[in-house]
Amino acid sequence: MAERTPAGVPTVPGPDPFAGLPPGDGRDRGPLPDEAYAASLAGLPGMGPARLAAVVRVAGPAAAWARVVAGRGWTAPEVLEALGAHRDRLVRRWRDEARRVEPAAVWHQIVDAGVGAAVQGSAAYPPALAGDVEPPAVLFHRGSPEAIAGPRVAVVGTRRCTATGTSVALELGRDLAVAGVSVVSGLATGIDGAAHRGVLAAGGAPPIGVAGSGLDVVYPPGQAALWRAVTETGVLLSEAPLGCRPERWRFPARNRIIAALADAVVVVESHRHGGSLHTVDEADRRGVDVLVVPGSVRNPAAVGTNALLAEGRAPVTCVDDVLVALGLQPAGRRPRRDPRPAPADDDRPVLDALGWQPVTLDQLVLRSGRHLGSVVLALERLQDGGWVAARGGWYERVAGGDA
Amino acid sequence: MHASVPSATLLGVDGRRVRVEVHASSGIPGFTVVGLPDTTCREARDRVRAALLSSRLAWPSLRVTVNLAPPALRKVGAGLDLAIAVGLLVASEQLPGSCLDGRAFLGELGLDGSVRAVTGALPLIDALVEPELVVPAACSVEAQLVGRHRVRPVASLAELAAALAGRAPWPEPPLLAEPPPPPPEPDLADVRGHPAARFALEVAATGGHHVLLVGPPGAGKSMLARRLVGLLPDLPPAEALETTCIHSAAGLRLPPGGLVRRPPFRAPHHGASAVSLVGGGTGNLLPGEVSLAHRGVLFIDELGEFEPAALDNLRQPLEEGVIRVARATAKVTFPARVLLVGAMNPCPCGEGGPAGGCRCSPSARARYARRLSGPLLDRFDLRVEVDRPDAADLLGPVSGEPTPTVAKRVAGARRRAAARRTRVNAELPAWRLDEVAALDARATRLLERALTDGRLSGRGLGAVRRVARTVADLAGAEGPLRVEHVATALALRTQPTVLTGAA
Repeated sequence: MAERTPAGVPTVPGPDPFAGLPPGDGRDRGPLPDEAYAASLAGLPGMGPARLAAVVRVAGPAAAWARVVAGRGWTAPEVLEALGAHRDRLVRRWRDEARRVEPAAVWHQIVDAGVGAAVQGSAAYPPALAGDVEPPAVLFHRGSPEAIAGPRVAVVGTRRCTATGTSVALELGRDLAVAGVSVVSGLATGIDGAAHRGVLAAGGAPPIGVAGSGLDVVYPPGQAALWRAVTETGVLLSEAPLGCRPERWRFPARNRIIAALADAVVVVESHRHGGSLHTVDEADRRGVDVLVVPGSVRNPAAVGTNALLAEGRAPVTCVDDVLVALGLQPAGRRPRRDPRPAPADDDRPVLDALGWQPVTLDQLVLRSGRHLGSVVLALERLQDGGWVAARGGWYERVAGGDA
Repeated sequence: MHASVPSATLLGVDGRRVRVEVHASSGIPGFTVVGLPDTTCREARDRVRAALLSSRLAWPSLRVTVNLAPPALRKVGAGLDLAIAVGLLVASEQLPGSCLDGRAFLGELGLDGSVRAVTGALPLIDALVEPELVVPAACSVEAQLVGRHRVRPVASLAELAAALAGRAPWPEPPLLAEPPPPPPEPDLADVRGHPAARFALEVAATGGHHVLLVGPPGAGKSMLARRLVGLLPDLPPAEALETTCIHSAAGLRLPPGGLVRRPPFRAPHHGASAVSLVGGGTGNLLPGEVSLAHRGVLFIDELGEFEPAALDNLRQPLEEGVIRVARATAKVTFPARVLLVGAMNPCPCGEGGPAGGCRCSPSARARYARRLSGPLLDRFDLRVEVDRPDAADLLGPVSGEPTPTVAKRVAGARRRAAARRTRVNAELPAWRLDEVAALDARATRLLERALTDGRLSGRGLGAVRRVARTVADLAGAEGPLRVEHVATALALRTQPTVLTGAA
């Protein structure tokens, strides 16, 4: 692994006047909180959740930091196990890195960014995570942490989803929020983002977003508006310190927090080996119910979800299935009036030929048995009415007038 | 003694007149070739000497200087051998000077005195103005295509020397036989399913619009592309001669009968270098694939696998119909008016067409999409997504229309364009659009909506109107474009999924 300073953490230029001093003594603003040391520790290279949890549990954040700066080894068996085979090299690397980091600066950066932090065991730490099998040692948040109080359901799925998957996630997010259930999700593109957009559109229970990167590193970059909206109406969480890049291993770790926060996990669309299946594993470890939205057997983005159904997971066809699983009152079938103008009789055969799978113009002409010119005109009208979505040369039917 | 013999050399795909001047005088015996010959041309000395001796003619013990005029033009190849030999025979007084009157000579010599075919015979012959033309027997068909000269095909130097001296009659040129019908081209009837893609080919063949086919492996993209050329009409005589010149200059095998009557089809491999695509090279400037496909179809399969720089070289020829290659020694212009058909997978794994199918990482997709530059994509007026046909379509009893039926419709629609003084609709200039491709009220509304919701750019608007004109021509519709024509043009110009980003 390349040498790396925790991005965004200002390193003190030139010889550090505070180097070697006991932590906290260098500045005259009183002792630093535990969170400052925990955040500094979390920013060290190779410091994953398990190692951080081990050193903090054994020594406490401040003493652990002092030990890292001094480059002293560890003796507690649980830390040794977490450090693994190359522990001596890791200790040296941490020491070299830590001497360039000032916890006070790290803390001021957190405070200045308007981010909250809570170490495990502090009053501000979410109770939902306190009893978890693998709780994050420190948790950063933006927005209102009170959002984590009510019932919570995780809605997860693939980034590479179909238009049907998007609209199902959107509806679920909307209906759950209206029913007073907070939606936990990972803020990714695709299913995750769609679920939260549904929540935001409904304006019900606050959304809970869990990020894999630092809270100042929007990833994927296109989701900045969603991050802002979730922060404003609910809460955004991460165990990664500020400036932390979205490294690959952070996403499975993030999925564990999603599973830990949720009372139930709903998977909308997942490929055969999709990352959502990792969230399912984490949910199983915690005894959290997993519910699955069935998909077409021809949909490659539903192979993973259909395999979950084959394992005997409960299917989700509407929000009531989720509410019942949570032991809540089902919302009941409220017939929703479709706001879209009904398609003309002439356009019906084209709409019927569409089905719920993306198809090309070729297939539409063949299935409807109509002339190309009349098919494209019908498609224009159906797109206008919101019945059909086109992506590239692929056409897909749109449900319910939500998209 | 001195002799001056007319001949020609090749520059790119054009013939250039050359005068071979031979001067022989007493002095230390020697043989010098001056006037910018390339290596092959300089070696003429040894070929001519051996050929003369093999033909029982004398190699003079004189000081011989051969000048190839104009001296600033680079002479390539062995096509001047025959002219040098004849010049030498006249200069050394083995033949009378009068035998050069009104005659030009072309041909390469073998050491045994045989006269061999030259590369690019057609453009060379086309450049010569002398009434009588001595050419290798193997090139006599090409020589007669031009039709301006009295053609004297010869098989050996001895035969030629005898005829020039009046000791033997000239060999008669072979009679031009009626050319056999061209071999059948792949038939559209083989294509099952794909009604929209077939229609796109029909529109492309009618209006000269470039087509991009996007789809997974096995969807039938290449199969479709290879059937486009069969829809194009035969080349008119002038274009056929022009195309034959290029093929002749490139040393391609000409069809029986000599004239390239059918539009060519070229499919360069994706390993092709920029030079092999657009032409050039260090020695003789050779035409590239895009010129070899002049007046025909250039099929770029696996567009995403080509070097982006090589592809971007296609932009200028697609715009102007010619390629200008400039080298320190020469600047040449190659004709390059092609109908371009591109085919590519929607993403590296090939399954990224419909949402949810792709296994590629977003960065791999982005890299792939970058290979197709925006300006090049803009050249494709027709962009069609093709999917693998359903099993039912593959096995079903219904096959599509055969090529002759569609070609007849294409020819009819092309006549409508010709009646408007347009070769093909793709070449309609912007200022004629309002006259030729006016829009009715509903069509105008549809285009306005497509422009406001970002489906169509201002730049794409003209292309859509041209395609819509072609669609209307195919439907036999006169007057302003109707909404179904415009909607079809829009549907055949989708933003390919490879560029829409999200998977």
